[in-house]
Amino acid sequence: MRRLTVVILAVLAVIVVTAAYFALKPPAPTKLRVIVYAYSDTITGIDPSLEDDTGLIILGLVYETLTYYDHSTGSIKPRLAVNWTVSEDGTEWIFHLRKGVLFHDGTPFNATAVKLSIERARDAYRETGRGLGYIWDAVEEIEILDEYTVKLKLSHPQRLDFLAAATYSAYIFSPSVMAKSGATNYLDKRLEEWFNSGNAVGTGPYKLVYYDPMREIRLEKFDKWWGWEYVNNPEAPDVVIIRIVLDPATQYSGLLSGEIDIACCVPRVNVPELAKKGFRVEEVQTYRNFVMFFNTKRYPTNVREFRLAIAHAINLTAVIKNVLLGYGRQASGVIPFGFPGHIEGLIYEFNLTIAKNYLEKSGVTKPVKIEVLYQKDYEETVQFALLLKTVLEHELGIAVELNPQGWEMLRDIARGIWESPETTPHIIIADWWPTILSPYDYLYTMFHSESKEWNFAGYENAEFNKLIEEAWALEGVDYEKAMEMYAQAQRIIYEEAVAVGLWDDVRPYVYSSKLLIPKEAFSPYYMYVIRFELVKVRE
Amino acid sequence: MPISSNYFLKRAILALAVVVGVAIVSYVILMVTPGDPAAKWAGNPRGPGASKAIETARQELGLDQPIYVQALNFVIKVLSGNIGISIAYKIPVSRVIYTGFMSTLELLIVTYAFSAPLGVFLGLYASLRRGSFIDSFVMSLGALLASTPTFWLATMILTLLLQVGFVPYGRVSPGLLIETGFKPITGFILLDSLLQRNLVVFADALIRLIPAALAVSVYPIGALARLVRILVAEALLEDYVKAAVAWGIKRSTIIKTFVLRSITPSIVQVAGLSFAYSLVDAMVVEAVFGREGLGSILLDSLYKSDFRVAIGLIAYLSVFYIVVNTLVDLLQAHIDPRVKL
Repeated sequence: MRRLTVVILAVLAVIVVTAAYFALKPPAPTKLRVIVYAYSDTITGIDPSLEDDTGLIILGLVYETLTYYDHSTGSIKPRLAVNWTVSEDGTEWIFHLRKGVLFHDGTPFNATAVKLSIERARDAYRETGRGLGYIWDAVEEIEILDEYTVKLKLSHPQRLDFLAAATYSAYIFSPSVMAKSGATNYLDKRLEEWFNSGNAVGTGPYKLVYYDPMREIRLEKFDKWWGWEYVNNPEAPDVVIIRIVLDPATQYSGLLSGEIDIACCVPRVNVPELAKKGFRVEEVQTYRNFVMFFNTKRYPTNVREFRLAIAHAINLTAVIKNVLLGYGRQASGVIPFGFPGHIEGLIYEFNLTIAKNYLEKSGVTKPVKIEVLYQKDYEETVQFALLLKTVLEHELGIAVELNPQGWEMLRDIARGIWESPETTPHIIIADWWPTILSPYDYLYTMFHSESKEWNFAGYENAEFNKLIEEAWALEGVDYEKAMEMYAQAQRIIYEEAVAVGLWDDVRPYVYSSKLLIPKEAFSPYYMYVIRFELVKVRE
Repeated sequence: MPISSNYFLKRAILALAVVVGVAIVSYVILMVTPGDPAAKWAGNPRGPGASKAIETARQELGLDQPIYVQALNFVIKVLSGNIGISIAYKIPVSRVIYTGFMSTLELLIVTYAFSAPLGVFLGLYASLRRGSFIDSFVMSLGALLASTPTFWLATMILTLLLQVGFVPYGRVSPGLLIETGFKPITGFILLDSLLQRNLVVFADALIRLIPAALAVSVYPIGALARLVRILVAEALLEDYVKAAVAWGIKRSTIIKTFVLRSITPSIVQVAGLSFAYSLVDAMVVEAVFGREGLGSILLDSLYKSDFRVAIGLIAYLSVFYIVVNTLVDLLQAHIDPRVKL
């Protein structure tokens, strides 16, 4: 009986496997232009209204914004909006939309999609604080004038053309997503879950076909994209695979083995060697910068002269040469080079005599010990922290305790400055990249006293707060004046030595010689997004 | 196969108790360690509404409630099989775990497909040459293999392969999947590629899997070789074996019918436990070879304060251990009529 059962089960198994084997046809090889792009982080979500982190790498290809920031000219260019007008008082914006644009599911792009997309980002932010919908917070009403024209009425003047080019919360999706997700309104959780499950209906040059946020994302060329006729690139990749490769050394070996075509983050030390082996390298000056915050609420970093002593003891030229191997630009202040509002002249001169004088003036008596918190995942911050420790201990006699942490932990420790400043490290090193094209992005987030999640210095200065709030409000009316006020705010940070801008990241993208990638395919603003529609694949 | 009606009931109760216990203990430990899941759930918000977003997230996750209420609610979710959405990736926890689990299981199955027979063969071979150089060699080799740190071995294998220009990184070449039109069916790439007669993907997946499988295989090979050597040596001294020899029964028949049959239940038991143990080795080896799997998922979830995935994974792994043990028991009862369940 037992044997009979075993035999029957075996026969059944053979039948099932054989049936499946013959039911599925063998694959017919296809010649597609497939490229693999190695990215160094997992994806945190792809909701076009709510995502505010690594999902950018997908959103930037699958969706489009009304306007686009051209970093080479520093100007705003048309994208889904072909042109726009603004009332004299800056509170009424009319966007004329591009005609003949299709979403990936074939539905037409129109004013309804714009209204829905903006309202969802704005209202989700108003209701829950989530996402970067604050960029639309001034929008009181969106009026559809006709199918291809929308009017946005604002509560106060804003540079809406700049905001519409934001890296997050400015993407336009198809209204068809409501029915597809079964959501009853645009704030329904089902819609968010639907997006984050790997669904997207944008107008971008590539459509999402596979989504595994931990390992791999596949994008396919969208043949009906409106822009193909403008880019005129028949050699654009048919399929783009974004492969999550966390380890830089693995990205390096992946390039060598041919598994990876473009790597965002190989170890800097390997870049020259790869170039010698025939790989191409594009060095992109980005808007991502590294900042060293001082804990302004804890002794001795609450003493301005002590902070200045440390600021003048750092030889950033040597750091950029020896630690970053040249892949960095010494920062002037906390707003990166090339970004609106960046000003020169905010560099602390490396001079140990000045540093020692400030240390003496500070009145801080020795022995003194400080704690430095930094991110252990970045080779540059690790090496910088070690150098800082050496310099401070040997040149200024300040003992340093290093505290390396992963990003999540670093952030949790750093934001504790508001509740327990006495146990929060004296120095915190962190990086930042922007959402909107305004100095407000950096200055509010990092130094406004209401920004309790990201103001790692614990800095509180009513004059500074007022300056950047007024400048933000003024951007839509008198942009030049607003920029002057931001500059003034930056000088306050510099003079009080609340934080030291260390370096602006220069990212060496390394890619196979079978690809031709024009400079404009890389952007300092849309971090890690490569405009694959401009990439040529040569087999 | 005598199985009492209470056996499955007892196992079910045991499984329930283990899952509840594991979930509660893990939950409390993760909640008292540093890290703020609410900030991650809110998406690391910035701008004027950042604090509000984190508070909203805290409420959505139920983290504003007393810890015993949180733990209880979480246990109910675990038992219902729907833990919800991953905090770090915003996709269902079950989906996060499933892909990793299938990858790890594939690695383990391939590993045991060759390591278990090889271990048994080596043990048997040595025991039939007791006292010889071969015997000493196999016993020493077994001890060495069973105690070799898997992480070290995996790193050595990878380094060696890199030196010769072979990069066995990942589970399969992503480009090949596209070019050949591969479609996942079961989650086991080897099986799926065979079903689709996609030998290119099969070969690619297999060649990447072999180095990892070699690293994981050392423990089962070593442990089984030594165990079989000892069991066979003992069995050969049994009276019924001596009687069979006296009756002039062929040596191969004695080994096959009397010796192997008597020790099979013990081999099954040890192989089963070793299989479950090797899960930990597989998780480590996967990290070295850049393969997706449970190891990377667990580490990543802890690093990103994703308590839902971390605890869900630990709870489901507990169930996996219980299932493996139960299968071993059933197999033992099937093989050995003296075993009563």
